[in-house]
Amino acid sequence: MLPNRSRLSVLVFLLPPLLLYGIAVLFPIMQSLFLSFFSWNGISDMEFVGLANYVRMLTADDIFWRSFFNALGYLAICLVLQLGGALLVASLLTSMRRGRELIKTLYLLPAVISTVAIAFLFVRIYSIEPVGLLNQLLHWIGLGALERPWLSDINTVLAAVSAPEGWRFTGLYMLIIYAALLSVPKELEEAARLDGASRWQLFTKIRFPHIMPVWITTTIMATTYGLRGFDIPYLMTNGGPGQSSELLTTYMYKTAFTSTDFGYASTIAVFIVVECLVAVGLILFMLKRKADA
Amino acid sequence: MKKLFRTAAVATAAALALAGCGSGGASDPSNVSPTGEVKAREISWLLSRPADGAVINIMKKLAEDYAKDHPGFSLNLITTPDRPSYIQKLETLAAANKLPELFDTDATPFAQQLAKQGKMVDAEKLLKSLDVYDDYRPSALDYQRFDDGSLHMIPFQFELEFIWYNKALLQKAGVAAPKSLDDIPAMCTALRAAGITPIAIDGQDQWPLERYVAYQPFREAGPEFIQKLKKGEAKFADPAGQKTVEWLASLGKAKCFQDGFSSQGYSDAQNQFTSGQAAMYNIGTWELPSLATDKLNPTVRADIDFLTLPTTEGSVTAANEFVSPSGIGMAVNAKTYDPLVSDFLKFALTKYPSEYAATGALSPTTNVETAVPANATPLYKKALEMANDLGDKQAMPWDTQLDPTTNGRLQQELVLLVQGNITPEQFTTTMDSTIAQNAPKFFK
Repeated sequence: MLPNRSRLSVLVFLLPPLLLYGIAVLFPIMQSLFLSFFSWNGISDMEFVGLANYVRMLTADDIFWRSFFNALGYLAICLVLQLGGALLVASLLTSMRRGRELIKTLYLLPAVISTVAIAFLFVRIYSIEPVGLLNQLLHWIGLGALERPWLSDINTVLAAVSAPEGWRFTGLYMLIIYAALLSVPKELEEAARLDGASRWQLFTKIRFPHIMPVWITTTIMATTYGLRGFDIPYLMTNGGPGQSSELLTTYMYKTAFTSTDFGYASTIAVFIVVECLVAVGLILFMLKRKADA
Repeated sequence: MKKLFRTAAVATAAALALAGCGSGGASDPSNVSPTGEVKAREISWLLSRPADGAVINIMKKLAEDYAKDHPGFSLNLITTPDRPSYIQKLETLAAANKLPELFDTDATPFAQQLAKQGKMVDAEKLLKSLDVYDDYRPSALDYQRFDDGSLHMIPFQFELEFIWYNKALLQKAGVAAPKSLDDIPAMCTALRAAGITPIAIDGQDQWPLERYVAYQPFREAGPEFIQKLKKGEAKFADPAGQKTVEWLASLGKAKCFQDGFSSQGYSDAQNQFTSGQAAMYNIGTWELPSLATDKLNPTVRADIDFLTLPTTEGSVTAANEFVSPSGIGMAVNAKTYDPLVSDFLKFALTKYPSEYAATGALSPTTNVETAVPANATPLYKKALEMANDLGDKQAMPWDTQLDPTTNGRLQQELVLLVQGNITPEQFTTTMDSTIAQNAPKFFK
């Protein structure tokens, strides 16, 4: 229990950030929740519709469900690229003797390039007329049969818009995980090695358990960022062709600002908030159970 | 915690209620001659036109001239050339009741709602009071009108849309320029067999493909089809609707558009045509400076020609009736309309046509003659002359007609239909149910 005076000082220091958080995060969420019970196009009178928007979203909107499953696919690809890639590169980095800084900088580079530049870059890479880098590479290595307009093919477009987002932040998570790996006590590793542990055992029994808290944080970060992914798919394909790369976020944006259906867009926004909370809860639950086991 | 929650909810409700109360201007939109003193101040024009284009350059100059006699006046031009971004900006500002003195909009259902709420000055009365109404081309004004015939936007352009084609490439494939819309699929097959891309299209911006869906119904059933379709009174399942759906599917099957067209942009498509890789390209007279002057690639310059929208057998509209838009129009905010805005518009609108025609573009008025640039090819003059012989009807671009949700869905489904990802039947069902669901909200 804190003495009175220090409780007051804690309050004084906590209040400004809490207020800011309330205004910038909680207030808009509350406002969305409020708006989700209305039908409003911005210039008409607001009409209270009760739960009608939720009923429409969950039972009568095929694009909503399509976007939801697309968003899950997008998330899966981003997570594999970001966390899997980051863990792999970070582990390799620890065993490198030279050029670590160079590799780190190279991997981190995409995270500092503007999103718009990345989107345009990848539109060029995936292009078929004129031939882009990816199709050219496939042609050179004799896989010409795989050449295709990656962003116009409804079977490849979701992966094609997810990859740049995954690629972009691999470096960032790699840095975090690398820093965590450096903190693994050397004595423990050496002791294990003397006991005859293989590299794989060393990784699974010593290194990974040690970086678990950092791993949980990065997983939560990557998942929430992935669920909120918007800019790259929006810029590259605008959700198309058809709804093949439509995510909940791009659909919500279009519903609000193209269809001017602010009430329904708020309903989707509320769903995204709930979805993010559920995702974080699930991650914590699963990892905790694993740790307890 | 519960208390905090309740307070936040009340605050939200209060904020929204206050925002709602602020809507609606006090001015009368039909009062076009406000009385009082002209007090110079800054006025703003929210617009969606190229930043260094003729309209902006001329209006900037006219504003400077006006400011010489009215110290303190200035015209703040806020442009967002990318149309989807612009529309979002406009709609958001309209929702916040923060529209500036002048703003651009097409004759969309959203704009019609603004007009119904009295937020836009009656442009017909305004132009008549400034004594310039009769100078305008009737079709330039008609393009800006809502379905009820009311006029709330002022045009600054007049364009004609043509199908440009490369004679040499058609000859190489052994086909003639299409005489009917129904000739196009077979033409595409022949061009593809000769290794030529038949039609270059900017798929990324979506409106170019949406033009194609408008053509068959305009020939088959006239301009009324889209007016009925958008309200749900006509359907894609009707004969005129089915004709366009089947035609688009056949364009897709004949691989008329370049591979991967849906992710290619405006300049990609134009480059394909001007570099001699694609045989056809559908674009308006705003591209005359690139297509009908010595700026055009010399290797294709002698081979380029254009045709107007082909007719079909039994067509109810004539060959001289096609897409002739007068571009996005300028609306005048009724709430901020005062003697200054009125006086400036009088000054600008009387001087604008001659300045605009001098740049080589078609003026929305008939009282000036367009100057053909010195570096023009013979096609330039030929294109301008088409404006003198237009029929009474015009094909409206569907993106300005449909409600925004239906429009967005149509743009998405069109790509799928042309790519062969969905069948004509699926397209018809999806679109008819989308219209049935969304149209009533906008056209009640």
